[in-house]
Amino acid sequence: MTDFQWPWEYEFPPFFTLQTHEETQKRQLNVWCSLFLKYLKHLNKFRINVNESAFPLYYNESVNRRLSSDMILKILTKLQSSGHAQQLDKKGYEWLVYWHTLDEYGNMIYEWIQETGQTNTVCTLYEISSGELTSDKEFHEIDEDVLIKVLRLLEERGKCELIELDGSYGVKFL
Amino acid sequence: MGSFFTKNKTPKSRVTEQDKAVLQLKHQRDLLKRYQKRIELSLENDRQLAKKCLASGRKERAKLLLRKKKFQETLLINTDKQLENLEKLVTDIEYAQVEMNIVDALKHGNDALKKMHAMIDINEIEKIMDETREGVEKQQEIDSLLSDALSEQDENDVLIELDALIAEEEVEKLKLPEVPQDELSLPSADETLKESKAAIIEKPKKILIET
Repeated sequence: MTDFQWPWEYEFPPFFTLQTHEETQKRQLNVWCSLFLKYLKHLNKFRINVNESAFPLYYNESVNRRLSSDMILKILTKLQSSGHAQQLDKKGYEWLVYWHTLDEYGNMIYEWIQETGQTNTVCTLYEISSGELTSDKEFHEIDEDVLIKVLRLLEERGKCELIELDGSYGVKFL
Repeated sequence: MGSFFTKNKTPKSRVTEQDKAVLQLKHQRDLLKRYQKRIELSLENDRQLAKKCLASGRKERAKLLLRKKKFQETLLINTDKQLENLEKLVTDIEYAQVEMNIVDALKHGNDALKKMHAMIDINEIEKIMDETREGVEKQQEIDSLLSDALSEQDENDVLIELDALIAEEEVEKLKLPEVPQDELSLPSADETLKESKAAIIEKPKKILIET
């Protein structure tokens, strides 16, 4: 795994302070949202905690700056509105973040299913997220909870049917 | 994994019992694959440990680790065989489903064919064939009558015209090509003479070069 390339903003101390100027704040938050998605994708990480104080995304040691909890929440709320995040607990400490929207993941997965001639067959979730056949795909190693959300979305579109069997999930693509 | 709120199932699920059987087998296959991954990591770990033990002179410890490694390699081989069995069974079930679909389709085809046959009455077919045969015979009579329409006089006229065409064609073959009338263009004597003089003049130059 190569080292993550931080953008120039990450070394710029004011980047870690919520700006009061409206246009500047908007741009700042957009860059932060993009950085969150890229860094989490780099780590293959879907779950984050707002209070994880040593997390490099929140804390840049070299400029001695860290994001406040309020600012992290503001970024995550913005990601939620664009379909890339979901709050997991009442207090807003635990979040699920996905680098593509559920819709995009659904399209990718269904396209792959069609490419490989697996319509009208059943698959396990493990097969989709960890199987050898998907190792070059964007959704390889996707979080299982995120995958279930994606498949429920496809189910609503009539593309597949989720199967619960012996406490674990499978899916039949139609 | 945690339990999730189960949505109301659609009225007609398209998941069959065979699908569920295949799914169960695939889950077992996944478990075996995860198990294999763990063993493979453990094998490499033990190998590295054995290396370190040898480096620090603990031969017996290294031997023990390698024995453990050997045992786990045996487990790997066994799980490979089990995986093969599982995947073969999955393939067999899926193929049996394909075969079942084929038989079902053939049955539907047969039913359709029978329904079509039911629409056709044998007696009606015989009647149609008789009518067809009569129609063909009548047409042949008409054809034979019409084919004698040309009179003997017309036939003679045709032959005369044919002979004329043949004669005309033979005349054309005998035509000889025309002799070209163009005058021949010869080079003028003056030009030829000039070229000879030029050759003579050039000779002294060669003599000088040789000297």
